[in-house]
Amino acid sequence: MRTLPDIKLVPASVPSAATFLEAAEALTKHSLPTIAVVGNQQRVVGLFGGEDLLRGLFPGYLAELRHTAFAADDPGVLAERARAVSSQPVEKYMRKPVTVDVEASAIHVAERFLHCDFAALAVVEDERFVGMLNRADFCRAVLRQT
Amino acid sequence: MELVTGLIFVAALAVIAFEWVHRTKAALVGAGLVVIVGAIDEDRAIEAVDWATLGLLTGMMVLVGLTERTGVFTYLALRVAQLSNGRPLRLVFLLAGVTGLLSAFLDNLTAILLVVPITFLLADVLRVTPIPLVLVEVLASNIGGTATLIGDPPNIMIGTHRRELSFLDFIVNLAPVSLVTLLAATTLLYLVFRRELVVHPERAAEIQRLDAARDMRKSPYVKRSLAVLLGTIVGFFLHTLLHVEPAVVALVGATVLLVVAADDVEDALERVEWSTIFFFVGLFVMVGALEEQGLIGEVADLVADVTGGSTVGEGLAILWGAAAGSALVDNIPFTAAMIPVVDELGAGDETFQDANWWALALGACFGGNATLIAAAANVAAAGVAERSGHPISFGRFIAIGLPVTLLSLAIATVYLLLFQL
Repeated sequence: MRTLPDIKLVPASVPSAATFLEAAEALTKHSLPTIAVVGNQQRVVGLFGGEDLLRGLFPGYLAELRHTAFAADDPGVLAERARAVSSQPVEKYMRKPVTVDVEASAIHVAERFLHCDFAALAVVEDERFVGMLNRADFCRAVLRQT
Repeated sequence: MELVTGLIFVAALAVIAFEWVHRTKAALVGAGLVVIVGAIDEDRAIEAVDWATLGLLTGMMVLVGLTERTGVFTYLALRVAQLSNGRPLRLVFLLAGVTGLLSAFLDNLTAILLVVPITFLLADVLRVTPIPLVLVEVLASNIGGTATLIGDPPNIMIGTHRRELSFLDFIVNLAPVSLVTLLAATTLLYLVFRRELVVHPERAAEIQRLDAARDMRKSPYVKRSLAVLLGTIVGFFLHTLLHVEPAVVALVGATVLLVVAADDVEDALERVEWSTIFFFVGLFVMVGALEEQGLIGEVADLVADVTGGSTVGEGLAILWGAAAGSALVDNIPFTAAMIPVVDELGAGDETFQDANWWALALGACFGGNATLIAAAANVAAAGVAERSGHPISFGRFIAIGLPVTLLSLAIATVYLLLFQL
């Protein structure tokens, strides 16, 4: 198996001081499921993905509910919430990071993907952020070897 | 050794009350310590665990968890909002009534976890502030849960410990006073919150348009789940006639529902809150050590000395003492420690002792409304509220919870004096 730098890594990150809106724009720009939130010396302090976007854009109680087919949208309320969350710090919505070392084996990377909720992981070298590894790109690289 | 055991128990209670670490960790560390220091031997520690309580809790968690998937409880909450037609008086009484009823026949913690999340959504639709509604539900759940053997953890512990008291005994002795208390408390809550719950007619009309049964229609197991749940509740009523314990009824119900309405057993069993089950295990072992070391007997002697052995004095001391203890600590560990005390107090006088059990149930359950940490349902509701962006502060809870508790205890005092003591 080739090492991770040989697979496409995307340097998609925002600084920990970024806002929710800046993180959301970075996520859309890179077309990745997850981006890194980096602090001092490029250390990964969190990951921010689609699920975090949803948690910010919609009320927190939704995660506690399972039956909402009856609910109707109120565009005014949704827009108001989106406005309010935009300026919030991304740190409030990011989740604990899952990282893999740039020298990690494919077996280890696959195990990390299977045991976390992220579809892209942060790759680090000497604990500094190198880039995001998309699960689809990783699987494609494994397939190409056959 | 007596002193060490007492210190371990008090330290565990303090850690639970101040939420320094998760309550399950505190209880398990306390249990481990009393075994390690030799306050209770391993065999006695295993015997001290009340497996019937754990069976009843586990069975109800599985039953309610599987029934919740059908959407029936969401339907119920939505219908309440629709029936209120946007009128604050109806909304408060209907919410309190449904939460109280669900608490009585499911258990109050489960009822809160079912109704609070949907209440936030309803409040958004009605454009009213959600916290008054959530507080109404929490307070109603603790009062409603007082009515039955399965309604509130203190009652579950009392009912499974004192097997002579049947499900019907609990209803006959506790449901009427709980109903009166619920009506009085809800009236108070309505007077406090009525201005915050005014619904614009346009929003009231909006909620009428929602199709409450939409989710339920998609579920293949609605009829089966409801039939098993209702069958289990009937089983509770008949458990004495059937010569089975309530825990057996709950576990049989859970097993039947697992067989007829669970496609994935692993997933269904995830509804069991293992942290709660282990919390109880830890408490039972710690209280077993207190008994073993004679501390429970000393507390019982102290209560008897203070009250001069008077029936009325003891009953009222248990009622108000249990409420105060529950408010300060948490009604589950407090009840666990009080059960052997009540056992010792009434030894040899059955009628006298039954009155003390009702006093303990009323004190611990009603006391659960006094502070945010006094009952598991309060903590659970506060958690949902915080995750929803509407945190409930300790002070805000006390400001409404304490008056409701005092009103409830006043009613309970009159009830005990007139009918029990």
